[in-house]
Amino acid sequence: MKQAIVLAAGEGQRLRPFTVTRPKAMLAIAAKPILQYVVESLAANGIRRIVLVVGYRKEHVFDYMGSGEPFGVEISYVTQENQLGTAHALAQAREVADDEFLVLHGDNLIEAATIADFVAVEPDAVLVKRVADPVRYGVVNIEGDEVKEIIEKPREAGSNLVNTGIYAFSREIFRFTESVLDIPDALNNMIAGGRSIRALETTGARLDVVYPWDILSLNAAVLGDMEARLGGSIEDGVSLKGQVTVGQDTVIRSGSYISGPVVIGAGCDIGPNVSILPATSIGDNVVINSFTEVKNSVICNDVTVGPGCVVNDSVIGKGCVIKGRFAAFGGQSEIRINGESPLVNVGVMMGEDCSVDNNVTAQPGTILGNYCQVRMEKVIGGRIPDRSLVY
Amino acid sequence: MCGIVGYIGARKAQSVLLDCLGKLEYRGYDSCGIAVLNDGIEVRKDAVRVKALAKALAPLNGTTGIGHTRWATHGEPSKVNAHPQCDCTGRIAVVHNGVINNFQKLREQLAEEGHTLASQTDTEVIPHLIEKYYDGDFVKAVERALKDIEGSYTMIALMAGESRLVAARKDSPLIIGIGDRENFLASDVPALLDYTSRVIYLEDGDIAVVNAGGVRVKNNGSPIVREEHKILWSVEDAQKGGYEHFMLKEIHEQPRVIRDTLAEYIASAEPIADLTAAGGTGPEDLLILACGTSYHAGLVGKYIIEGLVKIPVRCEMADEFNYAGQVSARNKALVITQSGETTDALKAVKKLKEAGCEVIAITNVVGSTASRLADRTIYTRAGPEISVAATKTFLGQLIALYWLALPYARVDIRRLDELVRELRQLPVKVQQVLDNEAAIADIARQMAGYENIFFIGKGINYPVALEGALKLKEISYIHAEGYAAGELKHGPFALLGSRTPVVAVVAQDNTCEPVITSIKEIKARRSPVLVLMSEGDDDTAELADFVITVPQIDPLFSPVVNSVALQLLAYYVAKQRDCPIDFPRNLAKSVTVE
Repeated sequence: MKQAIVLAAGEGQRLRPFTVTRPKAMLAIAAKPILQYVVESLAANGIRRIVLVVGYRKEHVFDYMGSGEPFGVEISYVTQENQLGTAHALAQAREVADDEFLVLHGDNLIEAATIADFVAVEPDAVLVKRVADPVRYGVVNIEGDEVKEIIEKPREAGSNLVNTGIYAFSREIFRFTESVLDIPDALNNMIAGGRSIRALETTGARLDVVYPWDILSLNAAVLGDMEARLGGSIEDGVSLKGQVTVGQDTVIRSGSYISGPVVIGAGCDIGPNVSILPATSIGDNVVINSFTEVKNSVICNDVTVGPGCVVNDSVIGKGCVIKGRFAAFGGQSEIRINGESPLVNVGVMMGEDCSVDNNVTAQPGTILGNYCQVRMEKVIGGRIPDRSLVY
Repeated sequence: MCGIVGYIGARKAQSVLLDCLGKLEYRGYDSCGIAVLNDGIEVRKDAVRVKALAKALAPLNGTTGIGHTRWATHGEPSKVNAHPQCDCTGRIAVVHNGVINNFQKLREQLAEEGHTLASQTDTEVIPHLIEKYYDGDFVKAVERALKDIEGSYTMIALMAGESRLVAARKDSPLIIGIGDRENFLASDVPALLDYTSRVIYLEDGDIAVVNAGGVRVKNNGSPIVREEHKILWSVEDAQKGGYEHFMLKEIHEQPRVIRDTLAEYIASAEPIADLTAAGGTGPEDLLILACGTSYHAGLVGKYIIEGLVKIPVRCEMADEFNYAGQVSARNKALVITQSGETTDALKAVKKLKEAGCEVIAITNVVGSTASRLADRTIYTRAGPEISVAATKTFLGQLIALYWLALPYARVDIRRLDELVRELRQLPVKVQQVLDNEAAIADIARQMAGYENIFFIGKGINYPVALEGALKLKEISYIHAEGYAAGELKHGPFALLGSRTPVVAVVAQDNTCEPVITSIKEIKARRSPVLVLMSEGDDDTAELADFVITVPQIDPLFSPVVNSVALQLLAYYVAKQRDCPIDFPRNLAKSVTVE
């Protein structure tokens, strides 16, 4: 197998506000988009020709992935204008597909080991994974190692094996992608037509982001595996513990205490006297002023956090400006999203380019939309739409 | 203005030369050609673009050769005028970038001596001069020939029976790419990125003898060692990465360019360049010189520095200054040139240096001539720009100008904090303009049918109007004029009417009211009005036929977001009109002739 087709056209509506301006595959986990983990895992397994199927906000993929050179791969693009389904997405790559190729989702974070055995498999095949709660996924019923049927979110599961969305196909698949919208339906039709499809099991990681707060758990999971690398300038009197990565041209000022795993990007200005505590990712060009604590959080590019703030268990979207004494602590809360209301333990999920004045408190589970302005002394909570003014 | 390349090594020279030439087309592309050393010299050339030539050619066998992509200065674009040019025997071939001032005299002289010159080019005298002086030593013959030439003569010569190339640099750029038992020559770095990242920049007056195993450089007759540089640009930077045109790709790179350019400076507490006057009394005045889009960046710089530092700033077009400008030795001067090779800007630097001025250069190209001539260089971190129409380098220049002025700002600490914070937020604000691309494209489609469009702005957004008009005219071929809002009534009003729309840049500062008055006057002449304004300004939006909104931002930084919106407008108008966006007719990327 020499080629991979990676589906990266989808929006991820349940991840709003973070997916209003970019596709789900471009959400950053530990300072790297999910798609980059997929591409790097392919490269590590010797697959260097990659077709990206893009659609929703595709420019963000172009701008970051380019022609693939920095990742050691060669990327070409095809566009899925309307995101109708995975089979429809795959069909867009028909003209550029090799005789045999892998298909992967660009918005599921995988590690190289997950696909290490699968890259050598003969088509057609599907990679499956054993899970405890299969009914939330596409359950794969098998006999021997042959797939009998894939059933999406069944009421009762016939097995503990679920579809990872990673496939090895020959061009034969394109005979089945025209009549259906999603790949599992195409597979079921192939099986009904008498073709055999093998199931291969993996024990490697495959992490999905469904809700905004999943960004935090993925971030924590991935940070644990990061290698420490110190760039920039670290003043005397800074304590660094555990795995800490600091990017180029970043300044960490005196009296700051950084306890890894922590990633800090390039061109940042941190401190003096700032605490950055485990499982925190900070993007490029971020300013964090004195006496602020950040813990178990993701802070995106171009954010400024003022003095004396507490940012715990939170995601701060790119370009936000938070003035002094802002507080967001984690805590149990019920958040309604698409008719579901899971109970989660989070601080604030803040969309991009918000402006938050002095002394604002965000209650646990606050989802603040993009481009919001919050005035001094406010307590915010619940779900606040994009472009709101909180007076 | 032209691009030249050379290759010597073990690969088939033809494919290397054509590949490298393709990446130099931004320097000119009205004709091209190659000469490859076989038993003799095989020359293939035509008045076509590199791709067309590559398609038409049968494979040649040699592994040494030279190539040229031309921008006509002497003689119309044609097969006979294309380079390489040869001597009478066809054993010497030359590619040349520059202008030979005394070529008429040399031509007549050579003709009298029995040489047959076939083309109208100035270049052709070089191979004939080499032929004239050749007495068994190729290198000596080139050196002797160049002594007869007045003008600029960056060139590479190839001779049958010689396993080396002889290159010379005078005024136009030339670099040597160092490979493993192979070497390359080119006018610019991007041409070589696929092959090597190790380069040597030649200086004026250098003559280099290049063979597969090594390079020897002489200047003024004595050997000299030129330092080798490692280029950090990747090949990817020179490709389109998903976009239809380099211009759109480069427009989209701007949030990253701002971030990188800021990161370059922001970590240091020191000013990036010293603006204090010779007596150490703090900044007193500043002279800014530049051409084209860089001139517009300079004009914005004038408003930035006058507004923040409160000193008088003069901004002039480099070429005008070169002919008539007066300067005193105590003037500080800032010269802005994207490529660092623009002839008019370099002449200005030389004139300033002769007058005893301290010169600060702002350029995008490390090691470029401007950076070597200036006392201090501020680099923009935009990476190579392929599209002829400058976008990301303009933004990089603006960021450098903001950062240059801020340490000297005569504003209180609260205002300074606010400005630095907003500066850091610019990548996100620019990204929002890009995310609004579809709406701008819609309006562009409606503007594409007009043949005359005015752009107006006032204060710091006056240069933005000039730049908006320049972008539109250079890539869409629509006649566009930028005007100061208040100047429109002093003449151009006569041209307004329902077929002449006006693009008005409205900022949230003290220029807002007068610009709105201008818009009302324009509406009274029935011109359609496109207003470019901040989100939420509903009253202004009501006056307009078309509205493009940009995120709210401090007026000082409004040129950044407004320029990006106007770049997208120009791009989509040109796309609607089916123009060759990256390579507009009659234009080339860096103007290395007067």
